[in-house]
Amino acid sequence: MVSQHGIKFAVHIITKHFGNLVAKVCECLLRRGALTLQNIVRYTELTPTQVKNSLLVLIQHNCVQAFILEEPGGFGDTLRLITQYVVLFDNILHRLRFSKFLALVSLHFDKPCLDLLEGLLQHGRLSLQQMFDRARETEGSNVTLSTVQENLHKLVTARYVERCPIPEPVLEPPSENDVAARKRAAKSKIIVEAETLEQRVVAASFPSDTLRFSVAVNPELNIDCATEHAGEKRKFDALESDIDGGATTEKIILWRANCEEFVRQLRNKACIENVRARLDDDAATVFSAMVEASGSEEKKIKVVNSAPLSVNAIYEEVIKSEKGRNMTFNHVRASLVQLSSQPRFVRVADETYSIDFKNIVELAQNDEVESVVLKRYGRTAYKIFRLLSKDGRLVETDKDLSTPLTQDRVMKISDSIFVEKKESANMLYKLWQDGYLLMERLVAGATQFLLWKVDKQKVWWHFLDEMFHGALNLSLRVAYEIDQRDEILKLREGASKEKRDRLVKVRMLMESSLMKLDDAIMLFHDF
Amino acid sequence: MVFTFHIPATRMNRSLGPPGPKRKRPESSSQSDSLTEQERILYEVIRSKQDMGIWTRDMKRETNLQDSVVNKSLKVLVAKNLIKEVVNIKNKGKKFYMAAEFQPSKEITGGAWYAEGQLDTALISFLKDFSAKQIQKQRVLTLDVISDLIRRSGVLKVDLAEQQIKDILRALVLDDEIIEVLSTGTGEFASFPVGKVCYKCTSKGARGGEPKTGAFSSVPCGVCPRILLCTPEGVISPKTCVYYNKWLEF
Repeated sequence: MVSQHGIKFAVHIITKHFGNLVAKVCECLLRRGALTLQNIVRYTELTPTQVKNSLLVLIQHNCVQAFILEEPGGFGDTLRLITQYVVLFDNILHRLRFSKFLALVSLHFDKPCLDLLEGLLQHGRLSLQQMFDRARETEGSNVTLSTVQENLHKLVTARYVERCPIPEPVLEPPSENDVAARKRAAKSKIIVEAETLEQRVVAASFPSDTLRFSVAVNPELNIDCATEHAGEKRKFDALESDIDGGATTEKIILWRANCEEFVRQLRNKACIENVRARLDDDAATVFSAMVEASGSEEKKIKVVNSAPLSVNAIYEEVIKSEKGRNMTFNHVRASLVQLSSQPRFVRVADETYSIDFKNIVELAQNDEVESVVLKRYGRTAYKIFRLLSKDGRLVETDKDLSTPLTQDRVMKISDSIFVEKKESANMLYKLWQDGYLLMERLVAGATQFLLWKVDKQKVWWHFLDEMFHGALNLSLRVAYEIDQRDEILKLREGASKEKRDRLVKVRMLMESSLMKLDDAIMLFHDF
Repeated sequence: MVFTFHIPATRMNRSLGPPGPKRKRPESSSQSDSLTEQERILYEVIRSKQDMGIWTRDMKRETNLQDSVVNKSLKVLVAKNLIKEVVNIKNKGKKFYMAAEFQPSKEITGGAWYAEGQLDTALISFLKDFSAKQIQKQRVLTLDVISDLIRRSGVLKVDLAEQQIKDILRALVLDDEIIEVLSTGTGEFASFPVGKVCYKCTSKGARGGEPKTGAFSSVPCGVCPRILLCTPEGVISPKTCVYYNKWLEF
């Protein structure tokens, strides 16, 4: 489920990159969920060709994935197969992060690899031949197909590039258990992180992990299983088969950038920087060695903690890095003690250490929200918010109801933060109005009590929506400033240097702020 | 979303709580004997509220006496030292009365940190400063050690209860100046038993007391009080935003 401003931001990105028509189709899918081609045509009121072409663009750039839903048909046991299209919200946001992805790759790879990846990011999906043609255009005719292939293999081995997913995976209808579970969740009004349709489609669209990163030119493997599916489907649905592009029919392997790996690397980087800010450089060195050592084990982004490592394994990794070379074994042990005491970055069990990703991400999320509360509402609000968010349960304005009879343990919001009661009451109300607190009213006889709580799931969701709103605003304002600049330049050839310099500064400030804000969005949305 | 619960009124009855420290009942039987019927009814109502006291309007409702009678009777009772007027921290404008033998409860006075209805900010900030500096100096400290340090410094004339020092430390935790940790028994915790609650400075303390500025709070929208009213083409929009104009002044 994507929040309102998340949708608006995604539509803005698509409009900026591909124009209004494509954006209209994209918005329709974002707002209504998976749809068939006919339904998209109906809802958008565009012509079928316009919709088809827009979908092709979105599929080419990995923003939409087609899938086939099996539904029980009307006659006997035959299954009806319906092709539907689902938008991949995450991949739309990743479009903003291409410069970050390229920066990551530039750390370990040379320019030809970087160019190759840039081509993939720019064009969405490319075949080896297309990559070769591109390389010849930029580097001249002395580039051979085998060098391009070699570069591609390097990137695939590092998991930065992968094969494209199956064009139209078949999705089985949800089992009865799933339906029952969803009903229960809906009843209890809890936002459950159940697997969304988007996630199910993505999972089904990937061939096995080995095939996904297989670079073998072995003709057996070369037959992309994708094409088989596409062929099968064609028998049922001749009309829509045009959508999945001509390339697959020729059994050519298409490649694309693997955003998941990039985001995972960005998460690691963010965690290391967090450790550095809270502890010191030595702890960060040890921590980053742990990240390196456990890197080959885990492949997902949202993990609770890494695989356990022994001290020896960590030390072995530490001394590989330049900074770690002057650390002794005892140094590393001391840093591990530091990392495993509160606030905890590393878990210890039976002399082995594993990274507590969940806790690190949560700490960073808390910092981000608290910083906004402090700057927007002031210190009193900051204290109230921290009090309630640490407590994690309902607290009465004046009195803790769980201990109504023992006055020694009476906890009052205003007393805990040492501010006048009236001030804290006003602030509680303001925070509640803006969606940062949850209020519950409790009536006991003639008296009414107000209870307050920071419901992290709801507040974080609201906060993420505000960040999408902020990112959208930044992006709109950048566009506005550029328009202004163009107008000034049109009006006067020699517009004053001062004005031009200002615009350069403005653009730099806003674009770098947008990139930083995007880091924070990733912290809440992806990590 | 607002939920409404109903819980039995008896649970909420504040008079169930232990009464405040009782003074010896004044041996003034002669005084209370000389009360009129109405004065006696009023006195009994006030006394039944113990250390919580009662608001004048509530008295009128409970006793069903006329305003003028209540006001007159109150004057008589105060003159005879049977009741006293108290300041209620929650409603400083409302007149509260309490039987003379009771000390106002914490609910009325606001607790240990209030002096004459005002928050004692000078004392609080002194204690916060003192505790934070001690923790910064010695890296890790426990509640007992901090209490001891405050007592031995001799700057306070009165002794603080343990709960009060806990209050101060909790306030420092909420300010993100210190954190509460459990001793691991190794490293910097070597001198404390495993599992003992300790306090140590946060990295923010080293940054000079200001928390790290987040990414969202460094752009105008992050600190904007009107973000909920902002739309691309609305009255408040990113193109016309005054906060943006200010931010982009070079």
